[in-house]
Parts: sequence; C-alpha cells; structure tokens
Amino acid sequence: MASLLQLKRRIMAAQNVSKTTRAMQMIAASKLKRAQIAALSAKTYSEKLSTISKNVTKKIAQKNIHPYITSEMKNEKTMLIIISPDKGLCGGLITNLVKEFLDIQKKEYEYIVIGKKIESKIVHFSNNQVIATFDFGTTIPSFETVFPILKIIDEYFIKKQVSLVKVLYSSFSNIFSQVPKTETLLPISFEANENSTPEDYLFEPNITTLLPSLLKHYLEMSIYRILLESFASEQASRMIAMQNATTNAKEVIEELRLDYNKSRQAKITNEILDISNIQKEEDN
Amino acid sequence: MKFHFEIITPEKTVLKDDVDEVIIPTVNGQITILPNHTSLFTQVEQGEISMINNGKAQYLAVAGGFLEVSKNNVILLADYAVRSEEIEVSKAIEAQKRAEKVLKDSQEKVSKKDFALAESEFRRSILELKVASKRRKVNLPPGTNI
Repeated sequence: MASLLQLKRRIMAAQNVSKTTRAMQMIAASKLKRAQIAALSAKTYSEKLSTISKNVTKKIAQKNIHPYITSEMKNEKTMLIIISPDKGLCGGLITNLVKEFLDIQKKEYEYIVIGKKIESKIVHFSNNQVIATFDFGTTIPSFETVFPILKIIDEYFIKKQVSLVKVLYSSFSNIFSQVPKTETLLPISFEANENSTPEDYLFEPNITTLLPSLLKHYLEMSIYRILLESFASEQASRMIAMQNATTNAKEVIEELRLDYNKSRQAKITNEILDISNIQKEEDN
Repeated sequence: MKFHFEIITPEKTVLKDDVDEVIIPTVNGQITILPNHTSLFTQVEQGEISMINNGKAQYLAVAGGFLEVSKNNVILLADYAVRSEEIEVSKAIEAQKRAEKVLKDSQEKVSKKDFALAESEFRRSILELKVASKRRKVNLPPGTNI
C-alpha cells in the first residue's frame, strides 16, 4: 500500500484536476448558450434567404446564367473544406471527423482545413493535397472569417479547377449528439418544387445584376451558418466531456480517500499494538 | 388593410409586424410599399427605413440587404438593422472615433482586412448617428461628424 503522504498527494492532484475540468465545463456551457442562440438566428436568416433564392432562380429560363449554379462537370476534382476546433479536450468530436474524412477521402480531392487540431492529420493522410489552412478560433466566429475562405473557393471554382465544393463539419443536432456531416456548397442546387408555380417578380434594377450578389450572399451565409454550427458542436461536446471528467475525478478522489483512511487506521492500530506489547514485556 | 413586414438579420429577427406603409432605400432610390404591392425583388442600400403603422411612424437604420415583396408579405434580409430608439449614441460615437483612427493611420500599419472592417464600422456609426439625431432629437456633442 502506498504511503500516507503519497496518497495525500494523489488526492490533491485529483482535486486539482476536478477543479480544472469543472471550470472548463462551465466555460463551455456559457459559450454554448451564446453559440446556440447565434446558430439558431442564423438558421432563420439563411432559410429565408434560401427560399428567396429558390424563387428567384426558378424564374430564370436560361441555364448557366451564373457560374455558381452551373451544372456541367468539367472534371472530377473536388474541394473539401474540413472544419474542426482549434483546441482538443472535446470528447470524440475530432476523432469522429477524422474517421469520416478517412471514409470519404479520394484521390481527386483537395482540401481546405479550418482548425489547428485536425490540420496535421489531414496533411498526413492526404499526400499534401491541402490548399490552405485557417484557424478556427476559440470565440464565436465572426462573419468576416468567411471572406478569405470564400476567396479561395472562388479562385478554384470559377476557374474550373474544381467542379464541386463540399464541406465536412460536425452538425449540431442536440447537446448530446454531434455527427460529422458532409454538405455540397457548390454548385448551388435548389430542389425543384413542382407544386408551386413561381410568381412573376419585378426585378429592380434587373436580374443579371441582382443574381450574382444574391448568390454570393447565399454562399457566404451557408458557410457562416456551418461555422456557427461547428462552434456550437465543439462547445457542447466539450461541456459533456468535461462533465464526465469531473465525475470521474470525483470517483477517483473517493477511492483514494478510502485508501487513505484505511491505511491511516492500520497505522494507528499497529502503533497501539506496539505500545501494548512493550507494556506487556515490561510487566513480565 | 395592412401587410406583413419582417426584418431579419443574421443575428436576430429585428421586426415582425403588420404595417400600413414602409419606405425603403433601394439601389434604384427610395421606394414606398403599400398593401397589394406587386411582387418585387430588389437590393437594399444602406440608409433609413420609415415604417408607418396606425398613423405613427417608426424609424430604423439599415445597412444593406435584399428585399422580397410577394402577396402582402414583405421580407427584408438585412446585413444589419437597428430601431432608432435602440441606437446607442455614445457607443456609436466611440465606434466612429475608433474607426476614424484606423482609417487615418492606414496604409503603413493596418492590414487590408482591418481597413475594410474599420470602413464599414465608420459608415455604420455615421448612419446610426444620423438616424438618431434626426428622429430622436438627440444632441450630439460638438465636433461629431455625420
């Protein structure tokens, strides 16, 4: 059995760990709350935006009016954007993303990686087909983070170096489950809804000037929504992981304390035995 | 006769109400929307929105976006929008000063991204101050640029 001092030290260490994990849990919880609100409101916005874009694009008779909605496939090249947290300690979130990445990766994929934690793994597994890497950050992503990403996408997609842009991220279904999900960003496709006949819109000034900025905005919003959702997933996952860590630390502390008390008692009993033995011998 | 009017920004739904009349700045100039307006899709410029409901007018500052009118349903997707009553004047002045400083010592130290950010912050604060001073009769400190 370990000495009393050692046990005492281990109890202290476990207590420190539980304090830290508890603090991290609370931080994640407060960040999660804000992230959830942001993700939810961005969702209403982008849903409305998608309905409007759908209505508008349906009105256009000719195809290939804008490179974003073209359907021709020039080559097999695909750009995959992978979004993961910068920091670890968030349960199986990153591992799940890596697993999903290994499942779907192909030779003709090229990657943009967002998030420090996953960067090295993707570089390792993808034979250096990473175009660019970005940091994800530890606060709610601001809208401006979208622009540099969009610039690279534009460069590759408009010049037809890739004919598909997909994104892999952890979607937020609820606090207890975040699943890796792949979505196609470009070309933008709106499912045709046959039931509703499109209305006759008046476009001011005209559709050819409006459409590019509308589609661009739609793309920006899609990326931003995904960033927000990833952030909410990260915080939720971290909160749960830290909650578990705190519970585990508490269990360890309890066990150690039991050991400590037992060995303390054993030591006292031994001392009493010693004393009484000596007493006996002296009496004899 | 009223129509439904909604202003949605990426942060929140700023307004959701039935109104009589709305005046909106678009790329083609100001337009007034009354009930039974024809279906319309247009781009909104930065400026001031006036909304008239039961004879009372309300004002909002808006920073660009898209407007869809269809069957008495008007939806404005704005990058940013704030009601005139909710504009925080002191904050706007502060933001303006901060942005102004960045814009002044540009070129050498400031990155392109920071410059663009400061520019949009500058424009937004000017807009907010304009709407606030016009509609709320707020007294701006002397020397404030609007």
